[in-house]
Amino acid sequence: MDRNTPPPPEPRKRLTVLDLFLFGLVIAGVAYAAYRVNDVLVYNWNWQRVFDFVLRWDEDDGRWVTNLLLQGLFTTLRLAVWATIFAAIIGLIMGYWRTCDGLVFRIISRAYVELIRNIPPVVFIFIFYFFISSQVFPALGFDRIDQDSPWVDNTLFWILFGDPRLFTNFLAGMVCLAIFEGAYITEIVRAGIQSIGKGQWEAGRAIGLSRTNLLRDIIFPQAVRKILPPLAGQFITLIKDSAIVSLISIQELTFLATEVAATTTKVFETWIVVGGMYFMLCYSLAVTFGHLENRAARSRR
Amino acid sequence: MKLTKFFTTILPAAAIAVAGFVSAPQAQAQSLLEEIQQRGTLRVGMSTFVPWAMRSKEGDLVGFEIDVATKVAEDMGVDVEFVPTAWSGIIPALLANNFDVIIGGMSITPQRNLTVNFTIPYAHSGQQMAANTELTEGFESLADYDNPAVTISCRRGATPCSLAQEMFPNATLRRFDDDAQAFQEVVNGNAHATISSAPKPRFWSAAHPGKVYVANDGQNLSKGDEAFALRKGDPDALNFFSNWIRVNTSNGWLEERHNFWFQDQSGWIDMVALEQ
Repeated sequence: MDRNTPPPPEPRKRLTVLDLFLFGLVIAGVAYAAYRVNDVLVYNWNWQRVFDFVLRWDEDDGRWVTNLLLQGLFTTLRLAVWATIFAAIIGLIMGYWRTCDGLVFRIISRAYVELIRNIPPVVFIFIFYFFISSQVFPALGFDRIDQDSPWVDNTLFWILFGDPRLFTNFLAGMVCLAIFEGAYITEIVRAGIQSIGKGQWEAGRAIGLSRTNLLRDIIFPQAVRKILPPLAGQFITLIKDSAIVSLISIQELTFLATEVAATTTKVFETWIVVGGMYFMLCYSLAVTFGHLENRAARSRR
Repeated sequence: MKLTKFFTTILPAAAIAVAGFVSAPQAQAQSLLEEIQQRGTLRVGMSTFVPWAMRSKEGDLVGFEIDVATKVAEDMGVDVEFVPTAWSGIIPALLANNFDVIIGGMSITPQRNLTVNFTIPYAHSGQQMAANTELTEGFESLADYDNPAVTISCRRGATPCSLAQEMFPNATLRRFDDDAQAFQEVVNGNAHATISSAPKPRFWSAAHPGKVYVANDGQNLSKGDEAFALRKGDPDALNFFSNWIRVNTSNGWLEERHNFWFQDQSGWIDMVALEQ
């Protein structure tokens, strides 16, 4: 290459006529498909009936109240938040054990990760629910929490865990998701710890730091920065995965949607509305996390 | 090397899996009835199916099933708690002790009975046939439908289609993706009749008086027996629920409730966001 050759032009940032034409073609295609649906499908669309299950105008109280689908969305969100917290704790411990020197710790954490990652989620959920949770929860007394005690009968409990009557149901779904997602977080944590260069370990040891000090003050602060972005992504995945626990009748968005679809017989409207709700939730989180990542990247300099 | 790998991965994995199965404690000797009394709530497993159990506009559960379970709990002096459960997993959920009893319009079948106990039936549902008045003029018995010139529509993959094949092997069968389409063909005069679970054909014919009627003098083509399902090994609870059904059949309460939900929709259509 000649040193006098001009540099390649900057990529264009504006849409050309051809781009617009192609977009128009796609939109027209989608619109035509939507139009054809009504021809092929003998179906009476009725969106209002499904929207009533999102928000309902209460005649007696004269105000809007949440109905099944919105309540389901809140349950899904609660499920995701708690499951992420517990999955992060499991992942942190197991991920650290994965990098330990002790053989026993490595065996335990490796067995956990491989066991969870190599069976399909649905199978895991059935095994967990029917064999483990039905034995463990009664043994711990979770199946009969006192609903009138001041610990339970307050607004904070409602915000954090939802309806006390469904607490066991909620707990089963949450623990199930946490154990399941914990395996993936374990691997994220392990990768984060192992991504820190060998030189850091050696330098730490050279100045006489103990293993605990070394981890706490040198390795971990650096690893956390690398762990956070994939962790945020895992959180969004967890929200979507939470739909699977509807199979064991956890009263979250997908399960309540099947109930609404069965009652109203408006199957397509229900699932399109529910799909939209999941999208809004996950996309807004993705945007938020993207924003946070950008800020973190700037502050690091 | 290979052996080490076996010890580091497969063995612990297998050990954890086995531990999960072995640790199941034995069923307690206490009867379910005492357990329900102590707990103060009867937990009922059910699944949404119109008009057995469905959601009202407020999102609450209503239906025949709900009335029955509420009365059972009332007579036991306890509260009722409904556990909506996916139909495919309802028997495993019962065995896993997620609730005490299934009151969910479950038909008695010998296969199911091998896994769970059934009470005596508390309802008898079945399949009904809605026929086009004009096309079936002069038809005297069900045998008239067993003719290649007769078209019967039904929903693909459901019991009605196999029933139609069994009862009318010579008739022309047209399969559709949902009940509403199959029925639309009858209204339009493209099919002589359609078969579906009771009471839907009756509701349809009520909506199109003079055009459509329920064939076989309004009687069901087949009969089902719906009963409560319980875990095996508890004769006391089985005896209680069976006799509850016996008493409420004799005093007419079950029939009255069944008629309210199944005979026509006028009593409850406003409660539920249903297609009219």
